[in-house]
Amino acid sequence: MNREKFRIIQSRIAFIVSTLTAMFGIFWLIFIIGDVLVHGIGALNINLFIKDPAPAGVEGGGLRNAFVGHLMITFFATLIGVPVGVLGGTFLAEYARGKRIARFISILSDIMVSVPAIVVGTFVYAIIVKPIGHFSGWAGAVALAMIMIPVVVRTTENMLSLVSWTVREAAFALGAPYYKVIIQVVYRGAATGILTGILLSIARVTGEAAPLLFTSFNNSFFSANMNEPVASLTVSIFQYAMGPYESWHAQAWAAALMITVFILFITIIGRLIIKWRYKK
Amino acid sequence: MIFSFITGIAAISVVLIIVGTLYVLFKESSLSIERFGFLKFITSLDWDPVRESFGAAAALYGTLVTTALALIIAIPVAIGIAIFVTEVAPNFLKGPVGVAIELLAAIPSIIYGMWGLFTLAPIMSKYIEPFLQKTIGKLPLFNILFEGTPLGIDLLTASMILGIMIIPFTASISRDAFNLTPSVVKESAYAVGATKWEVVRDVVLPYSKLGVFGGIVISLGRALGETMAVAFVLGNNNQITTSLLDAAATVTVKLANEFTEADKDIYLSSLYYLALLLFMASFIVLSIAKFLLLKAENKLKA
Amino acid sequence: MKRILGLILALTVVLSFSMANAEETLNGAGATFPYPLYSAWAYEYHKTTGVKLNYQSIGSGGGVRQVVNRTVDFGASDDALEPKEIEKDKLLQWPQVIGGEVLAINVSGIKSEEMVLDSDSVCKIFLGEVKYWDDKEIKQLNPSLNLPHKEITVVHRSDGSGTTAVFTHYLSEACPAWKSKVGEGKSVKWPVGIGGKGNEGVANYVKRTPFSIGYVEFAYAKQNKLTYTLLKNPAGKVIRPTLETFAEAASAGNYDPKKHFYTWVTNVKSPNAWPIVAATNILVPKERVGENKKVVKFFDWAFSKKADEIAQSLVYAPLPEALKNKIRAYWKANGIY
Repeated sequence: MNREKFRIIQSRIAFIVSTLTAMFGIFWLIFIIGDVLVHGIGALNINLFIKDPAPAGVEGGGLRNAFVGHLMITFFATLIGVPVGVLGGTFLAEYARGKRIARFISILSDIMVSVPAIVVGTFVYAIIVKPIGHFSGWAGAVALAMIMIPVVVRTTENMLSLVSWTVREAAFALGAPYYKVIIQVVYRGAATGILTGILLSIARVTGEAAPLLFTSFNNSFFSANMNEPVASLTVSIFQYAMGPYESWHAQAWAAALMITVFILFITIIGRLIIKWRYKK
Repeated sequence: MIFSFITGIAAISVVLIIVGTLYVLFKESSLSIERFGFLKFITSLDWDPVRESFGAAAALYGTLVTTALALIIAIPVAIGIAIFVTEVAPNFLKGPVGVAIELLAAIPSIIYGMWGLFTLAPIMSKYIEPFLQKTIGKLPLFNILFEGTPLGIDLLTASMILGIMIIPFTASISRDAFNLTPSVVKESAYAVGATKWEVVRDVVLPYSKLGVFGGIVISLGRALGETMAVAFVLGNNNQITTSLLDAAATVTVKLANEFTEADKDIYLSSLYYLALLLFMASFIVLSIAKFLLLKAENKLKA
Repeated sequence: MKRILGLILALTVVLSFSMANAEETLNGAGATFPYPLYSAWAYEYHKTTGVKLNYQSIGSGGGVRQVVNRTVDFGASDDALEPKEIEKDKLLQWPQVIGGEVLAINVSGIKSEEMVLDSDSVCKIFLGEVKYWDDKEIKQLNPSLNLPHKEITVVHRSDGSGTTAVFTHYLSEACPAWKSKVGEGKSVKWPVGIGGKGNEGVANYVKRTPFSIGYVEFAYAKQNKLTYTLLKNPAGKVIRPTLETFAEAASAGNYDPKKHFYTWVTNVKSPNAWPIVAATNILVPKERVGENKKVVKFFDWAFSKKADEIAQSLVYAPLPEALKNKIRAYWKANGIY
């Protein structure tokens, strides 16, 4: 075999291997999503959304409390996390642009994004749950917000940096103060990008269970009171999947399906927006 | 003026969260730090609430083993995927495969954990683990890795799940790093007659190795701190075993299982101590990753 | 931008309204041992009174921790706290209902109440000394059973558990080797096995793991159709787990309000008593009189005939009437009844 041929064959083999690894990766995706779909759809029924849990070991009931609770916790986490994140990102991209502090904070945010979520849970337990004297939906929302903030800070910073400086100068020329320029011009220019970042950060926290275990805790009843322990889908999945009852397992699968579909939906929307807005 | 002040405070909140977490974890674990010190705590195998003697060795061991195994599983696959997406795949496939991998990253860890318990663990205990015992497990040196009854609730299953989970992180960062290789450099390699693989091996990989390495370190940080994906299938047993088919514990699983339940102050304080160690470890690891990625970026700019 | 802000504002207003007229909720946490019963009681109580009793089964250790930290209205623990701990943490404690623990097994071909075990064999299995199901220790107790030569997988608790405290107390009393090597408590250093979270987790692992054995409260075995064994009690008699054998054991307890009802009822002498029985307890913070009154209202309802019937249907033995009255007097003496 001559050298030329050997090199070509070597190249082929390397690429076949890489193709196989890609198939391996996609195999798991299909396996996991397929499994969640099959079990989840089989377990879906209307009671899941309109009924509260039945006593342990009794058939029937649903997870209305967890659906509503999860929505509430995520909603308030967004309400806390997004303004803080967007404003923080604004500071980095506008007022502190190019300064050392901006760089420092943006590196810290990047690190924070991957910090163990369960540690955030222990932190919030110590600063909110224990001093106030009870588990609460608020504590859960704060924990999730803490996970959201760095994500939003970073995307906002990036998106604002993409707005070209000449746009700002044009506005300055009309005599507008900086804050007005930011709010009326820069935000407008970066709106889609920031929105995408927010969507993706919501997708990120929706699936979190670890920070909620010690904060929003759990509630076997429907409760719209954020001052009380509030049920969430993820904590319910943990409890139900680890439990022995068949009916719990079915409900855990159904909840898993809903959460997965929701997250994949948001993620895909986010990607589509990016693609549509920033194509070349 | 007011607006700039408000944005400044919002930005500082990131710093506050980090410093606050460190401070609170340190304060809450002070009881345990005083009682056990540092070296004794991380080397002691004890986790004995009855005699109030606590050590982190077993949990740290579990964390290290699962993380290392997960990386061994994930890195080759992730890099293969990155090569496939950037160099091999026909254009119409690049997009969809890339998206599929990123969706894998979006699936929440609790789903991985639940799938692991209900679907992967039985497969592991029925087929894969007995197979490993019969093959690699028969070899000298390797046999101690595969002793015991295959239950599927063990280090190996947990590492598998963790590995699958971090594939997409590593893959997407590696892909970005590959994409940063200037096409001029690649073109010139092709021009002198290099095959595609040679371009990847001799041009793209060396060019992007810092970025890829940064991606690996980030995945390492993720794997260190992952809770729910492993909590379902690790069996939370505080022990150091050579066999991968035994139940074990990681720092995160211990926290998830025992945090609300520790009945004595010293017990809870020791759990906070674990959380503190985990927080510092992942902070350091992630800082290193960030440093590498920044360096990779700077190199490109230069 | 303004429109979004307006929308958020409107939503916040709507949500805070929905919070204003929230119904009354009592929050409790703790033992998983009585969880099936407490959740059934809470369900019934909510239907009749509209009061929500949110009970989370996080383990007895958690029940004690959270009530000491004052993060719940009441805690629950099968492992009664000693009087001096009760005083130190300024709590009140009373027993609520009686349950028994059984050994659940997953051995193909063997049905419930077919296998007999005694404290010695259980002790050796959990110490890891008896490793196979066809060990002579098990064989001699079950000469007629066809035992497989398969390794035993021990399933225990991973969390702070009153069920564990009761189980290890039973072993420590009956088996000196256990006492010296492991000891007793809500969580101990297990020599072998895998850890499940809560009675729920142990039941789940036993169900999913062939050739395993674990200890669970009887209701979990019943509800999940787990195979359970008979046990030889200290009187040397082979006993079935039933309401009667649980109640028989519980009647041997010395329930003294001055000691906050601290007592043990494992390994009692009576020939008709199941050996692993406990009265599971409720703990409340002494100073929270207002909340305590509401909590007591629920648990007094749980002493009613209707509640007793629910308990019996899940094989928990209601307390004898005399003891219930003692507890009511204890409540009264502490100004919460």
